[in-house]
Amino acid sequence: MKKDKKINNKIGKVKPFDVINTIILLLVAIICVYPFLYIFFLSISDGKYLVTNQVKVFPMGVNFEAFKYIFTNKSLNIGRGMFNSAIYTVAGTITSIFITFSTAYVLTRKRFKGRFLIMSLFAFTWVFEAGIIPNYIILNALGFVDNPLVMIIPNAINTQFLILTKVFLEGLPDELEEAARIDGANDWVTMIKIFVPLSKTIIATIGLFYAVFIWNQYLVPQIYLKSAQYQTIQQILKQLVISSGSANTSFSTFVKNGISLNPQNLRAAAIFVAMVPIVCVYPFVQKYFKKGILVGSVKG
Amino acid sequence: MKTANININSNVKKKNKFVKYIKKNYILLLLLLPGFLSLLLFKIGPLFGMVIAFQDFSAFKGVFGSDFVGLKYFQRILSDPYMLTLIKNTLILAGLTLAITFPIPIIFALFLNEIRLKKVKNFVQSLSFLPYFISASVMVSIMYMILSPTSGIINELIKALGGDSVAFMSEAGWFRPIYIILQIWQTLGYNMVIYMAAITGIDSTLYEAASVDGANRWQTMFKVTLPCISSSVIVMFIISIGNIFTVDLDRLLLMYNSSVYETADVIQTYVYRIAFASTGMPEYSYGTAVNLIKSVIAFALVIFANKMAKKYSDTRVF
Repeated sequence: MKKDKKINNKIGKVKPFDVINTIILLLVAIICVYPFLYIFFLSISDGKYLVTNQVKVFPMGVNFEAFKYIFTNKSLNIGRGMFNSAIYTVAGTITSIFITFSTAYVLTRKRFKGRFLIMSLFAFTWVFEAGIIPNYIILNALGFVDNPLVMIIPNAINTQFLILTKVFLEGLPDELEEAARIDGANDWVTMIKIFVPLSKTIIATIGLFYAVFIWNQYLVPQIYLKSAQYQTIQQILKQLVISSGSANTSFSTFVKNGISLNPQNLRAAAIFVAMVPIVCVYPFVQKYFKKGILVGSVKG
Repeated sequence: MKTANININSNVKKKNKFVKYIKKNYILLLLLLPGFLSLLLFKIGPLFGMVIAFQDFSAFKGVFGSDFVGLKYFQRILSDPYMLTLIKNTLILAGLTLAITFPIPIIFALFLNEIRLKKVKNFVQSLSFLPYFISASVMVSIMYMILSPTSGIINELIKALGGDSVAFMSEAGWFRPIYIILQIWQTLGYNMVIYMAAITGIDSTLYEAASVDGANRWQTMFKVTLPCISSSVIVMFIISIGNIFTVDLDRLLLMYNSSVYETADVIQTYVYRIAFASTGMPEYSYGTAVNLIKSVIAFALVIFANKMAKKYSDTRVF
């Protein structure tokens, strides 16, 4: 009772407007995530209910056969796609964090004379896009075609995240560096021992951004990684769900362990596994995102 | 003699100074090396690669061995009737996307701000924000599932209401609506967070003053909140205009199939198609020429937009 009174005091009378407004916005939020839930329900439902289109707002005949099937059936390449994407994401994120942070660190040292020139070049190449063909010509000459390193090295510095890191480092006092120098620390030691521990927030932020960015990439692997052994889960998904369309070349209907599996729940399972890693890191991403959003919204 | 000596001396001094600087800062310079190489090879390198727009580029001869042909490919652009379709498609898609997706998050942010239960507010923000981080392949795949003519939930609904099922993903007329729906779905929460941040910054005394004056809900929303975030709205609008040529190429290519070229083929997809997805010889030079013109216009737009945005806000861009 006491609590109720407190709320009432704070928000005044609850009017029909509040009720309707709350309901509408909750509905919008649910519509935003419903398709993901729907896919999840399809993936854990028994195929015999899917044929008759009974699964809409809750799963029926819950089982995990579809997941077992897509991971054990090697010809679908889902296991390999997930593995490749995971490797690219982990290796790419570590590389990107290191290069972005050390570049931002040097570009915020006042005694480094060329910092304005280099920053302007980063900014210019960010706004003026050379386009996919000149990029391909250069990366081809450097041996990145059908080379998994294309997922890790060429995009190791994202200018947007570089600016984000630079703005953060500019906010740390210069005296820290001077104090370390007096104690005889060199630049490497100063950066690692003094600045990195103070930059945990920004490192976590750009790390998460890079990880999501690399995991989600479609265009780069599609252009550069043609061999089946290097393909990412996003490419596999496109082949299994989008390209095959209604001609069910990769999936067919069959019964396994008394559970009916059909193209619909197998496809749904493939979609679901491709988004699970993102959904898992989402709470952290969301936490750090608001900090970077205003700098990030400037260009694309 | 004397002056020469001084010159030599100052040169030596300069050199010494430089060597000293390097010696003193070599670790710092080493730290910059990976970033510098990355800038040189992957960001500046492709800019020089654009020279192939003026060549008859062949992959065997390379950039240095190919013959220069001047403006041949730019003349071809002018005489290519398909360019008109491409420009038309690009502008329609960009214009429609901007006109439809721009106001929606502002409206939702205004109404979301009226919800006083903090938990509901956070819940709505968290859920609507999620799609922003989901990949284009997953989003388009889900669309394929939901809109499938045989088993999709939407077509089931249409059939239940007595209609005929529609092959949404392979009808040119449905391409733009589906692209825009995906755009709204992916960016609604993101843009709402930006506007909510602006709304949170409004001076609360304004609301007190409004309630003292007896303003009702609608009046506070449209006469206090909206005017107070108008500079954010203007800046966001200018930025969107500047980025009008930035399409979601992943999404376009995933939704792309020959049955929807009529509406789906925009400059970027066309460049991709003639270079990487054609059955004949890849047309690198022509594709680069088309893209070069697009890049110059887009660059001018972004610079202009940033200048304008600075007028309306104090946010530093670079």
